[in-house]
Amino acid sequence: MSIESREAAAALSDIEDIVRRVRQSRIYQLASLLLIMWGALTFTGYLVTWFSPRHAVYAWPAVYVVGIAGSAAISVSNRMRSGIRTFDIRMFAALLLFIAFGIFCCWLGHFGPRQLSTFWPIYFMLIYTIAGLWVGHAFVAIGLSIIVLTLAGYFFIGDAFDLWMAFVNGGGLMLGGLWMRRS
Amino acid sequence: MAELDDIIHQPLRLRIMAALTALPDAQGLEFSRLKKLTGATDGNLGAHIETLAKAGYVAVDKAFVGKKPQTTVTATAAGRGAFARHVATLQEIIAGAARKS
Repeated sequence: MSIESREAAAALSDIEDIVRRVRQSRIYQLASLLLIMWGALTFTGYLVTWFSPRHAVYAWPAVYVVGIAGSAAISVSNRMRSGIRTFDIRMFAALLLFIAFGIFCCWLGHFGPRQLSTFWPIYFMLIYTIAGLWVGHAFVAIGLSIIVLTLAGYFFIGDAFDLWMAFVNGGGLMLGGLWMRRS
Repeated sequence: MAELDDIIHQPLRLRIMAALTALPDAQGLEFSRLKKLTGATDGNLGAHIETLAKAGYVAVDKAFVGKKPQTTVTATAAGRGAFARHVATLQEIIAGAARKS
């Protein structure tokens, strides 16, 4: 069987396209699990803040500890199944630096509870959106949607802001994860 | 120059093999995901998977997850080798044409 170079180039381009799609699909599969888990945790965190504000000081550190431990567990499980490392010590260090810088910004800006509830989702979703420019447009769409809805809540939703954020941030992440799973 | 593999060269079978060999060894793809990735219809995909399975290039595993049947397709070692040779031949064709021009 013989073919011309143009046909060979088209076949190789087809292969590259499929390989890219498979890689993206695997990233989406892993990211969807992480999104659903973080969505459920932040949903719980905001609900606790809404129903029992004095317990928020315990709820949020618990959300972060369980979230980071869960992310590591999902990553290890994924590595055992696929042989691909997705969360290593450098990523853990990057996450710590990212959180430390966020805490520094909050300290510098003397943020109140409402500003804190607005800043953290926007801060996380900004990184998420930027990463999406490389790893897939679904990340950009989810990130920007949550940023816009968070700002809308900050400016236009009154006392029910934490309840709004439970659905926008927690629910948004879970819906985003489910959407990513299907895409 | 090595010959192109007639079985793999068909466009949809090429896409199926490209998707399966992009995964680590022994890891497969569910039928529905493979369908989405290759843009094939159920019948078309099933027929081409059967051709690849007859050639020994893929293994088909049918199981029940709960009450739902699930078909997983995995590239065999022979399939991975044949696909790698096919890709190398395609690259040779392009390199050969570039040398001539």
